[in-house]
Amino acid sequence: MTELAEAKEQLTSASQQHDEPRFLLNQRLFARDLMEKLRLPRMQRFKFHDWPLIADQPLTWVSSNTDLEELAPDDEVIRVTQVGQTTVKIHIPEKLQDEGVVLTDIFTAAKNYPEIFKKNFMTAIKADENLLTAYHMAYLNAGLFLYVPKNVEIKKPIEAEIVQDNTQDQPLISHILVVADQGSKVKFIQHLTTVGKNENPANMMIELIAKDNSEIDFSSLDELGASTHTYFKRRADIGRDAHVEWAVGLMNDGDTVGDMDSELLGECGYANSKMIAVTTLNQEVGVNNRVTNHGKHTIGLINQRGVILENSELIFNGIGQIIHGAHGSKADQQNRVLIMSDKARGDANPILLIDENDVEAGHAASVGPVDPHQMYYLMSRGIPRKQAERMVIRGFLGAVLSAIPAADVRKKLVDILERKLTDGQQYQ
Amino acid sequence: MATLEVRDLHVSVKDEESKKEKEILKGVNLKMKTGEIHAIMGPNGTGKSTLSQTIMGQPGYKVTQGDILLNGESIVGMPVDERARKGLFLAMQYPAEIQGVTNAEFLRAAINARRPQDDQISVMDFIKKLDKNLELLDMSQKMTERYLNEGFSGGEKKRNEILQLLMIEPTFAILDEIDSGLDIDALKVVSKGVNSMRGDNFGSLIITHYQRLLNYIVPDTVHVMMDGQIVETGGPELAKKLEDEGYAGLRDELGLDIKLVDDED
Ligand SMILES: Nc1ncnc2c1ncn2[C@@H]1O[C@H](COP(=O)(O)OP(=O)(O)O)[C@@H](O)[C@H]1O
Ligand SMILES: [Mg+2]
Repeated sequence: MTELAEAKEQLTSASQQHDEPRFLLNQRLFARDLMEKLRLPRMQRFKFHDWPLIADQPLTWVSSNTDLEELAPDDEVIRVTQVGQTTVKIHIPEKLQDEGVVLTDIFTAAKNYPEIFKKNFMTAIKADENLLTAYHMAYLNAGLFLYVPKNVEIKKPIEAEIVQDNTQDQPLISHILVVADQGSKVKFIQHLTTVGKNENPANMMIELIAKDNSEIDFSSLDELGASTHTYFKRRADIGRDAHVEWAVGLMNDGDTVGDMDSELLGECGYANSKMIAVTTLNQEVGVNNRVTNHGKHTIGLINQRGVILENSELIFNGIGQIIHGAHGSKADQQNRVLIMSDKARGDANPILLIDENDVEAGHAASVGPVDPHQMYYLMSRGIPRKQAERMVIRGFLGAVLSAIPAADVRKKLVDILERKLTDGQQYQ
Repeated sequence: MATLEVRDLHVSVKDEESKKEKEILKGVNLKMKTGEIHAIMGPNGTGKSTLSQTIMGQPGYKVTQGDILLNGESIVGMPVDERARKGLFLAMQYPAEIQGVTNAEFLRAAINARRPQDDQISVMDFIKKLDKNLELLDMSQKMTERYLNEGFSGGEKKRNEILQLLMIEPTFAILDEIDSGLDIDALKVVSKGVNSMRGDNFGSLIITHYQRLLNYIVPDTVHVMMDGQIVETGGPELAKKLEDEGYAGLRDELGLDIKLVDDED
């Protein structure tokens, strides 16, 4: 038997053992075939082709020690916790369940809600885009599904604690699918962490399907461990008059490459993609943040801020594309990085691809040290250099910090930031 | 008693465009003690801001000759934050805006920077002091929750500089054109703030283009600066005289061969 045939047989038996619906297995097998001919994605000015982003392992179902995660019991909060492949807890108020809100792990969704699942799963991100999307589809082993029915507004943010389990030798291949039906509103916050020290890849994808008139606020605090190589892909398909805001705090300790994509498909849609990243030690991080205006009168904004410490590297590509026919649209982006040591390397590249005339497009980019005028001002009040530096940096990152809806997550992010900056400053 | 002394100070800056060093201060001498208020007046472009920034320690200004002594100790080469903790304060002509850092947070950090780790100001004491000074300066509480100087009007920035002065309570404060862009009411408020600091443990160097401010903060000594040097020193009456005769008049009287940037006086 060929290697491919063996791999597909293994996938088939693992899928059956997992009691997956046939359509899901078919998608896996199709994707496994694709892996044979697809290549790694490319990113301008950033190389990651020798990273171990694909685990040489069959699809296996393992359970994780869930004592690992401490849960704060809080009935008010809508929270779901996953450790590795194990879903620890899903708490969702009855009232929302009665309104038709669904929050489950991704495999339960495939089984119990096949209609809505099939219609949306892997439609924004497609398996045949590149080797890593195909790998994702073929070997998917964790994830979540959220459905918000028409005109339902969930006021409290939904909090997802995703813990990558590096106490075992298992990749985490996780998919979060959020479907916001017409006129619905939802805020989703994910917090990614790692336990354990084993080396594993993490392949983390998020699909947001924002139907007409819906609103999705998606915040992410990424705090994956140093021994994890991460590829993430987060994409929103945005319908007519729909709003999507991303606020990502990329605080991973390990090498990370990622794609953010906002597709403004319907007329008058709005996307605001904000990201901050702090890199330390010998870390390498590259991000493509892309917003594409397809529909007329759409607004696409990108705001990326990075702080590069010690011997690390950070590349921010901002890609604003206005497709022919997207009359009256607007694309604006800011990409800024602070370089905090002689050995730190980084770049902020705005890329504008405009195929329409009556549009508004703008960009700003900067790469350099902290603003000396601001430093001087703070220090002239007696504040020591390093503290002043942290204050200026916090201000520099402020726009994204303030976009995170939950105060405790915001506080967590600020704490991580302080810790990273303080550690990084030792190095200067 | 504390002293601040500037001795034969020569300062140059690198011109951004021509990349050439240009001498701005050409031998400034000045001596002041706590308990005193000095004023420096002079036409635009004469080096007043250069002098204040150099005393504070702005890294862009290079001391090529002479010295600056705080209580007899040379502070040339000392980092700006250390000078501040030793008691110097500069109310700037163009304060920086810092997003993400609230005014209140900044003020606390500044106060605590000069206190030992184990004796940081308590929240209660801080708020009491803040409220008192806000009232004195006719400022609203809201100003302290806003980001530092961000989106402040010109007048609000000036008031905020004086608020910092009152909160930090330095030994010597240099006020660089604190009156520019202020209407008469704001000018009175700002002056009230500065006057409240007057006393044996405080000295101030007030830099202004116009005599008007000195009606409200009456100085002990007035210096006139032209072309990078102090050309005349006297009492408050010197300011009045300048008001009447203009800088050109004084220049001609002193027989100086200096071209004034603007003769609008
Ligand atoms: N950072 C600087 N770079 C270049 N030239 C400067 C700088 N600061 C001051 N100057 C020049 O020095 C002279 C004195 O400026 P300044 O000290 O601001 O005068 P004043 O405050 O009396 O108006 C002016 O000719 C000004 O253009
Ligand atoms: Mg000036």
